[in-house]
Amino acid sequence: MVNLNKNILRVIIIASYIMIVALVISGISALLGYLNTGADRSTILHTELKKIDQYSPSVVWSPLTNEGRFMDNENLKAIENNYLDAWYVKHIAYKTNTTEGIKDFYTDNARKNLYEFIASNTAENISIESTTLEHHPTLEFFSEDGQLAIITDHDVVEYKRVFKDESLVLETTETSTYKVVLLLEDGFWRIRHQVKETTQETENVALALNTKHLDIQGINYYPQDSPWDMFGDSFSEAIISKDFNIIKNAGLNMVRIFVQYEDFGKANVNPKKLEKLKRTLDLAEASGLKVMITLFDFYGDYSVMDWTLNMRHAETIVSTLKHHSALLAWDIKNEPNLDFESRGQHNVTSWLENMINHVKSIDNIHPVTIGWSNTESATILKDKVDFISFHYYEDVNQLETSIHALKREIPNKPIVMGEFGISSYSGFWKPFGSSEEDQANYYKKAQEIIAKTNMQYMSWTLYDFTEIPKEVVGRLPWRKNAQKHYGFIDKKGNEKESFTYITKQ
Amino acid sequence: MRVLPAYLFLLVLISLSSFAAIKQADKASEIELQTVQTEFIAGHKITLRFSNSEGVEPLLYCTNSYGSTLIRPYIEGGILNYSIPKHITQKKGIVSWKLIHGNISLSGQFTIKAKPEVASMETYIGPPSIQAGGTDYTMMVVIPTDALDNPLPEDTTVKTKHQFLSTEISDTIKTKHLVAYKNIYSKKESGRMLVSSECLNINSKEFTINVMPAIPVGFSISAKRPHGYADGNQITTFETSILKDKDNNIVSDGTFVTFSISNEKNNILKTYGSTINGIATAKMIHPDYGSHWQIQAYVIGMAQSNILSLNYKQAISDFEVQFSENNRVITIGPLKSFMDQMIPDGLSVKLQIYKNNTTIESIKTTSANGYAQFKLKPDLVKNDDYTIVIQTAGLEKTFKNTTLW
Repeated sequence: MVNLNKNILRVIIIASYIMIVALVISGISALLGYLNTGADRSTILHTELKKIDQYSPSVVWSPLTNEGRFMDNENLKAIENNYLDAWYVKHIAYKTNTTEGIKDFYTDNARKNLYEFIASNTAENISIESTTLEHHPTLEFFSEDGQLAIITDHDVVEYKRVFKDESLVLETTETSTYKVVLLLEDGFWRIRHQVKETTQETENVALALNTKHLDIQGINYYPQDSPWDMFGDSFSEAIISKDFNIIKNAGLNMVRIFVQYEDFGKANVNPKKLEKLKRTLDLAEASGLKVMITLFDFYGDYSVMDWTLNMRHAETIVSTLKHHSALLAWDIKNEPNLDFESRGQHNVTSWLENMINHVKSIDNIHPVTIGWSNTESATILKDKVDFISFHYYEDVNQLETSIHALKREIPNKPIVMGEFGISSYSGFWKPFGSSEEDQANYYKKAQEIIAKTNMQYMSWTLYDFTEIPKEVVGRLPWRKNAQKHYGFIDKKGNEKESFTYITKQ
Repeated sequence: MRVLPAYLFLLVLISLSSFAAIKQADKASEIELQTVQTEFIAGHKITLRFSNSEGVEPLLYCTNSYGSTLIRPYIEGGILNYSIPKHITQKKGIVSWKLIHGNISLSGQFTIKAKPEVASMETYIGPPSIQAGGTDYTMMVVIPTDALDNPLPEDTTVKTKHQFLSTEISDTIKTKHLVAYKNIYSKKESGRMLVSSECLNINSKEFTINVMPAIPVGFSISAKRPHGYADGNQITTFETSILKDKDNNIVSDGTFVTFSISNEKNNILKTYGSTINGIATAKMIHPDYGSHWQIQAYVIGMAQSNILSLNYKQAISDFEVQFSENNRVITIGPLKSFMDQMIPDGLSVKLQIYKNNTTIESIKTTSANGYAQFKLKPDLVKNDDYTIVIQTAGLEKTFKNTTLW
């Protein structure tokens, strides 16, 4: 007995000794490993060139007929880059009232003019957020030694917000023509003289489209296995085609899909993703469905300095798809009113207004809308959109009242319920949630109201999902799990009871 | 195709502007612009005056070529006065303003013109050196500005002046797109050109353009040598004629000339020189055997000379060879030059040892005091019978079956 105890004791002592040694060694190795991490060796020489897109207004050069030396593309590109950089540092300088970067793009004499503005605006606590949306430069002159260039920048569209004591006092868009003398100094094209020759305030009158013909009976669509990542690696034409046929056979006539801003490459749209988007529209056409594309999903900056980048993004997508016969409409932004609090309502609405104008300037055939998250916000910018769209996740019994209230406010434009639905989840995270039967009843009731009020609609959504990215509803499990069960078809592919009420009867 | 949208745009503009005019008239009862002047000279004090019936003090938004700001009014006798800050009144261009008062949008523009005087003539000239001959040119760009650094209006006359050799030329040009420019062509002669400009009686400083000679045309070469013997010791000097361009300008100093020498064996030697006052010289040591040289000089890619022929007479007519110390010491000499004098040190002598037509050893040495000597060590060349060949100054002597022991 004693012997056995001793042996047990020995084993324990030896084992604990080994464990302590192992722990110490692993601790030391972890420390050494940490100290050995560092920058990649290839970065030692800083040879990599980083060009970040910060500002890219549309620049359209008129054909070169300049006096002086023949202009080549490399020099013209260099002038354009530095000229835009000059505008960019000016925007930043007037926004922050600092002089950072100005001396790189303005000569000694020219920069004084900016410094004086900055000094006086600082003293008066004035700041100006601005950007330019369009430039139409003409090269007038290029000196024989290649050191001096003169451009006339026609119809520069400048958007400005003027703040005094941190509060907005003026928002204006001006169209001006500038004559600019640039000198090549230290490898930079710097502005030597800048003279505004004409200017006028711009009224943006986007052409309103007739939307009387719209008859939207649709659904919000994501593939079951790749929600919020429709155009990623798991993009499958077979799956989408099959789903579109299900939707068509259910009696619906359109789908609403989403284009994520960052996922699609921001200002430089990834051509592969765009091709997948185009293929999706092709498949919809084959299935006899129309498509509403929601742009700028998961985008939430809205800052004035971001505008030009957003515009390049929208431009690429809209101009590529505007002639597609499956395209129904553009939804500029999904639920932008949710960003009012964090980004400021004014920032968001002026961004939306500008984007509507921009999309309409490229595509004057397809109507635009904004997918407001509730009926209260749906009146914002009602004169700019071609039809109104709101989302409804509140009490279905209040739906009819809300629709009537909205129709009173906006009697002359079609109103579309862009998202509505209810989760059939009840479980550990939400013990008193709804059942599949509740969901069916919800849709039954909603469709009755839709029929009665003659609404157009897109329900949320075709499928129950297994994975919800945290960007959608956050990380909280009761939200995530509820979000997984909004579908008409469950995870196993069976139609839920609600499927009967996917359309107006 | 572009005409129709332009007309539509114009129509929209006209309708908008008439609308705006009506709107302004409506507000006239409240606040009205009293300043009628819309054109100012840079640097003048500008105050916009508005009648004010309400006692409010709205801000005035004001924007010019370089930036925007807000201006606070001061009230004087019931009149709203907006004093436009210096950094706006001093800069040429259109200034637009807008009164910010509730929903009132009273706005307007005024123009600021450059002062009708010149304070500085920023002049850029490039390229700073051009080629003579009348085809190459340099460009002078002048930006005349007033005292407040505003470029002068279009069509301001600028006088350009340039002097070259005995000519002085003056010309007038007009400003266009804020600058005035002129191309100044070279003349046939090279030299320095002095350039200046004048605008509204103000003169720029002096600028210098170097008019460089153009590329050389064909030239000739000559050679100088102490004697015509191939002694491998004296030096022949080659010299070009004065290199000139097509208009007789002496080419720039330092023009690089390559002298290429080929002999009767088609071997090529090269020597180089660069020009001073148009003449390039280069040197080459005499060959050590009778030879015929053909020399031609080039300015690579531009010009070439005539072909010069030189003969070098054999200086050494014969030499003696003595074998001693078991035939292992071979003494060559005396080596005598053209006057039977001992050849100067350094003549190359070559010894070759053959066994059954295969080379066993090949040794080179140079002469000293008229003699050259080879010592063949037994560990280098074993005892045997060999054929020994000695070459120097283009001559060759063969000793067959020479036994080394």
